[in-house]
Amino acid sequence: MSCPELLRTQAFLDGELDDKAAAEVERHLENCAECRAFSTGVAGLSEAVRREVPRYRAPASLRSRVDAALDNENGAQKVVQFNARRRSFWFGAASGIGASALAAAFAALMILPPSAATLAQSVTDAHTQALMSGYTIQVASSSHHTVKPWFAGRVPVSPPVADFADQGFPLAGGRVDDVAGSRAAVVVYGHGSHEIDLFVWADRGARLPGQSTRHGYHSVFWKSGDLDFAAVSDTERAELSKFVSLVRGEAE
Amino acid sequence: MDDRRRRFEAQALPHLDAAYNLARWLSRSPADAEDIVQDAMLRAYRGFDGFRGGDIKPWLLAIVRNCWRNIGAETKKRAHAPLPEEDDGRLVAVGADPEQAAIEASRSRKLNEAVALLPDEFREALILREIEDLSYREIAEVTKAPIGTVMSRLARARAMLKEKWMTEEHP
Repeated sequence: MSCPELLRTQAFLDGELDDKAAAEVERHLENCAECRAFSTGVAGLSEAVRREVPRYRAPASLRSRVDAALDNENGAQKVVQFNARRRSFWFGAASGIGASALAAAFAALMILPPSAATLAQSVTDAHTQALMSGYTIQVASSSHHTVKPWFAGRVPVSPPVADFADQGFPLAGGRVDDVAGSRAAVVVYGHGSHEIDLFVWADRGARLPGQSTRHGYHSVFWKSGDLDFAAVSDTERAELSKFVSLVRGEAE
Repeated sequence: MDDRRRRFEAQALPHLDAAYNLARWLSRSPADAEDIVQDAMLRAYRGFDGFRGGDIKPWLLAIVRNCWRNIGAETKKRAHAPLPEEDDGRLVAVGADPEQAAIEASRSRKLNEAVALLPDEFREALILREIEDLSYREIAEVTKAPIGTVMSRLARARAMLKEKWMTEEHP
């Protein structure tokens, strides 16, 4: 390396220069063969590194370890609160049908896909539990560029994420939740004063309920590709249907 | 969950992949990377009140880097066998032509090896710039080095990588 402008040429390639300095470097490149060759080399290499070198993703086990370490730091009481929200479905099931039935249900779930009724209950429970705890959003953003990559490594599915603000359904963010024992991505939308949760999880061959209404919450289920979808909200059914057609237009 | 924990999770956890990726490339060991990140997240949580706003990512990655530097020299030596796994999803080229796919996978593996073999200060600058997309200023913050040093390390890293990769490519 000998040209004194080499580092500035690199800064230009890395997008670090303002317009004036960038124009100077462009002029310099016309006259300096060394910097021209350097910039071709860096650009090719940079492209290859970005394409071929993996960005390692935190394994799920690490996420649990970090969760546990933070719980431990916060004290035992908060551990219970945190887990209670996550396991809302199991807590609800345990109080309702008793521990032995729960064990049987759990064993069955390991083998069989969940029934339509279980799914309907599970998404509504997850939705209402999240609303009650005030913890519906883990990543808050109206940009799908922020929300979609956030799910990577947190859930085994990559949900379609789009903002429908123009149609009255602004993207609010996302969280991770459970649907009848499956880890699901939840894309959260607003609609007036209502919230709509879009659950997305990997299809295990379950029969979906279609539509369901429980305790005033509507839910609509459908399949697309190898994913199962459920939209849940307390907004009017017609509004929810409108939202579903928007999403399905986007997803298919 | 209290408000502090909630704020920490909302701000820091979206960068868990970045933290792990950096720890993994620095330590070159999946197991050490997990230990480093767990330690770093705990330290970050404890020190969260000292975080003065702005972009949390460089702050967090600086803690990851410190935790990596704190692990014993023995651990670092042990990890010094940086071969990317063959079954890494990124190395399995998608294409109709198996021969071409094999060539591409091999090229990709060589590039990964070359990155893994860069000396620490060059490797971290390259990973932060090319994979984590940090600006010079942010890299300077993470690595506690002046911007001029960041620039020359980056240039050096690229020169070393290019030389290694090009000779591998055209033997």
